[in-house]
Parts: sequence; C-alpha cells; structure tokens
Amino acid sequence: MNNLIQIRLCGYGGQGVVLAGTILGHAAINDDKWVSGSNSYGAQARGGSARSEVVISENSITYPHVIKADILIAMSQTAYDEYIQDLAEQNAIVLYDDMIVHPRDINGVQQIGVPATKTSIDQLGNKQVANIVMLGASVVITGIVSKKSMISSIETNVGQRFKELNLKALNAGFALGKNYHRKKH
Amino acid sequence: MKKDIRFVQGNEACVEAAMYAGLDFFAGYPITPSTEIAELLSYRLPIKGGKFIQMEDELSSMCAIIGASLTGKKVMTATSGPGFSLKQEAIGFAVMTETPCVIVNVQRGGPSTGLPTSGSQGDIMQARWGTHGEHSIIALTASNNQDLFAMTVEAFNLSETFRTPVILLLDEVVAHTRERLIMPKPGEINVVERLKTSVPEGTDFHPYLPREDGRLPMSDFGGVHRYNVTGLMHDMWGFPSNNPKIVYGLTHHLVDKIQGYTQEITKTKEFFIDDADCLLVSYGSSARTALHVVENRRARGEKLGLLELNTLWPFPSDIVRKRCACVNNVLVVEMNMGQILHEVKNAVAEPDKVFLANKIDGSFITPTDILNILRVIQGKGV
Repeated sequence: MNNLIQIRLCGYGGQGVVLAGTILGHAAINDDKWVSGSNSYGAQARGGSARSEVVISENSITYPHVIKADILIAMSQTAYDEYIQDLAEQNAIVLYDDMIVHPRDINGVQQIGVPATKTSIDQLGNKQVANIVMLGASVVITGIVSKKSMISSIETNVGQRFKELNLKALNAGFALGKNYHRKKH
Repeated sequence: MKKDIRFVQGNEACVEAAMYAGLDFFAGYPITPSTEIAELLSYRLPIKGGKFIQMEDELSSMCAIIGASLTGKKVMTATSGPGFSLKQEAIGFAVMTETPCVIVNVQRGGPSTGLPTSGSQGDIMQARWGTHGEHSIIALTASNNQDLFAMTVEAFNLSETFRTPVILLLDEVVAHTRERLIMPKPGEINVVERLKTSVPEGTDFHPYLPREDGRLPMSDFGGVHRYNVTGLMHDMWGFPSNNPKIVYGLTHHLVDKIQGYTQEITKTKEFFIDDADCLLVSYGSSARTALHVVENRRARGEKLGLLELNTLWPFPSDIVRKRCACVNNVLVVEMNMGQILHEVKNAVAEPDKVFLANKIDGSFITPTDILNILRVIQGKGV
C-alpha cells in the first residue's frame, strides 16, 4: 500500500493534460510498474476543466482512482482551486504553471512554480507543448518515472508529425526540473 | 520471449481479446462509453480480412450479427444502456434461434439516455430479463484489464459451446481505466471453435436435432444445406410449431442448456475468504473498491473477505450460498439499488445478514462509501 503514488494532472481542455497523463502512465509501465490511469470523460475534455489521474505502484492496484494526490500538477487556476483541497496529508507536492496559476499558501505543502508555458513559447515557439515541458520538469523533480521511459513513452504515444517537437519539449522540461528540489521529509 | 505488455483502456483490452478469440464480424452503432470498441475494430477487423459495419441503429446492428453468425462467423456488437434496450428484441431472436453472438454492454447511468459519461451497474437485470419470454442467458463481467481479456474470450467460447447470446457487462470505469495488459500468447487461452455438422451435402440437415450429447451442430447458412430459421417456436427442422410437446421441449431446452451447466460456466475469484467473518460480494469496477477496503482492513487485523463474481448469469447461487454460510455478515457492493443484492439474499440461508453498499449518483463507489456501511453493520455507529 505505502508504495502507491497518486498523481493528479489538471488544467483546461486543450492543454493536453489527458495526453500527459497517458504518457506518464505509459512511462511507468515501461519502468515495469503497475499503473491505473483515468481522465475526465465528458464535454470538459473538449474545453473547460480537464483532469487526468495516474496511480503508480510496485504492486497491482485495486481502487483505480486518486483519493488524495501525492503530486498535483496544475495548469490552470480553476483546476488548481478545485483540486488543491484533495492533497495527501503527508509529503504532498504541488507543481503549477507559474504563468497561469497564482498559488495559495498552504501549510506544510511544497509548491513549485514551473515556467512551463513560458518555456514552451520562448524556447519551442509553440505553447501547445507546455504540458510536455511541465511533465518533463515534474519527472525530474519528483523522480516518479525514469527519463528513459518518458522518452520511449513519447515515442509510442505521440504521432510522427509532432514527435520531434514533443521530445524537444520533454528535454526542455528535464532541464527546467534541475533548478528545483523536492524537500526531503 | 519478452512479455508483450500494453497500456490500454478496458475497451481496448476487449477489442484485443475479441481479435484473439477469432472475431470475424462486427456490426454496431457507436455509443458512449463503448465507442472505442467500434472505433478500434473499424480498422483492426478489415486488416485481418474481417468485416466491420456501422449500421443505421442498434436494432439493425444486432440483427446483422445474428445473420453473420448463422453464416459461420464469430460475431460481436458493442453498445451502452440505450442501445442495449433497443437490441433486446433481436437478442430474443438469437436466444430462440440459438445463434452464437457476443453483446458488449458498457453500462452507463440510466434509464433512458441517463448519464452518458458516468459509470453504473444498472443493467444487471436487463441482461437477464430484458428480452421477453422464458429463457436463460449468460452474462459475464470483469474488474480489470487482464480479467476483461479472459472474460471476453470466454464470452465467445461460451456462445459457441452453448449456442447462445452472451452478454459482456462492462461499465464505464472498467472500460476507460487505462492499465497494463499482458497480451496472452496464441494458444495460452483456449479458443473454442464452432461445432459444425458432419451431415454431407445432398443429405437433409436438421438444424435443431441434437446429437447424443445434446449439442446442436451448425451448418453455415447459405452453404450446402437448406434450412429454416425462425423466431417462432419450432421443431427439429426449424419450422414453426405450436404442438404443446414441442413447445414444452424447446422451452425446457432453452433454459436447461444453460441453467444445467451453471457450475461449469461459473467463474468467481476469492480473496481472503478462508477465515473471513464478514464477506463482501461484488463484481465489475465495484469489486476493485471492495478489494481495496478488504486489503486495507486486513492490514488492521479485521477479517474481511471478498467474493468477486465474473459470471453474473446464470447466477452462481451454490458458491454464494457456501461462502456466505461461514460468515457473520455479507455486504454486497454494487452501483445500483441492489440488483445482485436480491440474488444473494435469495441464495443464502439467512437473508437478514445480507446488506448493501452502493452508489447511484454517477460517481464511482469509494472506499468511504463501503466503510460507512461497514461501521453500521459492525455496530460502530453511523
């Protein structure tokens, strides 16, 4: 039970949080972990608030959804406000896009603003890969999956046309992630 | 050889399993939350030389698979609640004509169009009695991708073995949860092929004349034999009859050919049952929450167990009765108002010790939903 990691990615429809969840989940599969992934599946997946959940474990997973997030990755203010309440009581970490989200002070929770959208626009000339930049940074900061598995997951889950752009975004995210450190508990 | 591990949704696991079982023909009318099944098969089936048809509605989809099955093909359709309602008349035709076919119903909230994108387990009784008249039916379910794969193959196997429609009752949560699937190698899971007649061309073929072992071999419709297929009560030639003896015999046959093999058909899974004093009974996605509760409470020393049902119809009354006899309380966990609860109560000697933990608001049942009821049963207050 205690080796179970619950991750919630949220933002608004179109930012690619659902794809990011799938890529993260597949990376964990590549790392030989058990994974349960789910995402918002209504009209909100096409606009409005979108959510993706990934549960990663060394063992088979029973309850398939996130109960309390150990890691919250927020790409929009609405989604941040909605899910900031549902954090694990211990060692939770919040990663948010610092161009979009204004965080609130929460006792005992480490919150890191990652310039994902800014990096996506400045370095890659395309804000659509902010999700992958965010994911790259999150993986380096939290160590939830290996970098190698992330690369191969992108190669599996992203269409040929956008593969190069997404791999560049991932590497930009990896580089960004090195600037931050998760507090040791 | 390295294992072929996929990261797929339940609907994709269902498609992979149908292909593994030898699916030749799919007709459907895509509907949330089953859409991925039709979507994936629309390109997977033609690649292997199979046929995919998007029909004008659910009624015609059901009729199309019956026709294709009679010609010797392995067939499937997939739908959700509203479409399942529309298919009921033709499911009855498949029952009466003893045509093998697999119907996937990815359950969503109902009645009517209900809650298109939310999970539910509200069609359990509809699977059993949705079509009119005395009959029996097989309905299977699963709670995770690996079981879903196995039960989908099993659905095809049972439909061919018993010459009956088999209903695969999934739900939105199982269908859309993305998790790992270890692809079974060819031959790893048994695949049953159709029993075909040995009656040669030029000799009369009686489509409903059983062999000595009771089984009915088939002849591909449109092939070398001419025979009649009708939804009316019929004799061994397949021609309509209202002869009371024939009607009595056929009605009994349609029921007995399944009910009489309940033990062989039944698949269940048991977790921590041996020393349990409280038994949870569940199926489909709800069984995952139930198992979560059982594992957590076991870690605290509470003697909880889980009986997971993969076969819902014919209802495994014997196993339920035996497992429930040894415990103080039984808690049925499902996402409806107690459709399996009543079956469990009917099966056990002490129905008063059977309780319900359910969820009917469209959201997925949580551990807290179960624990709240457990507290009451265990006398710990509300």
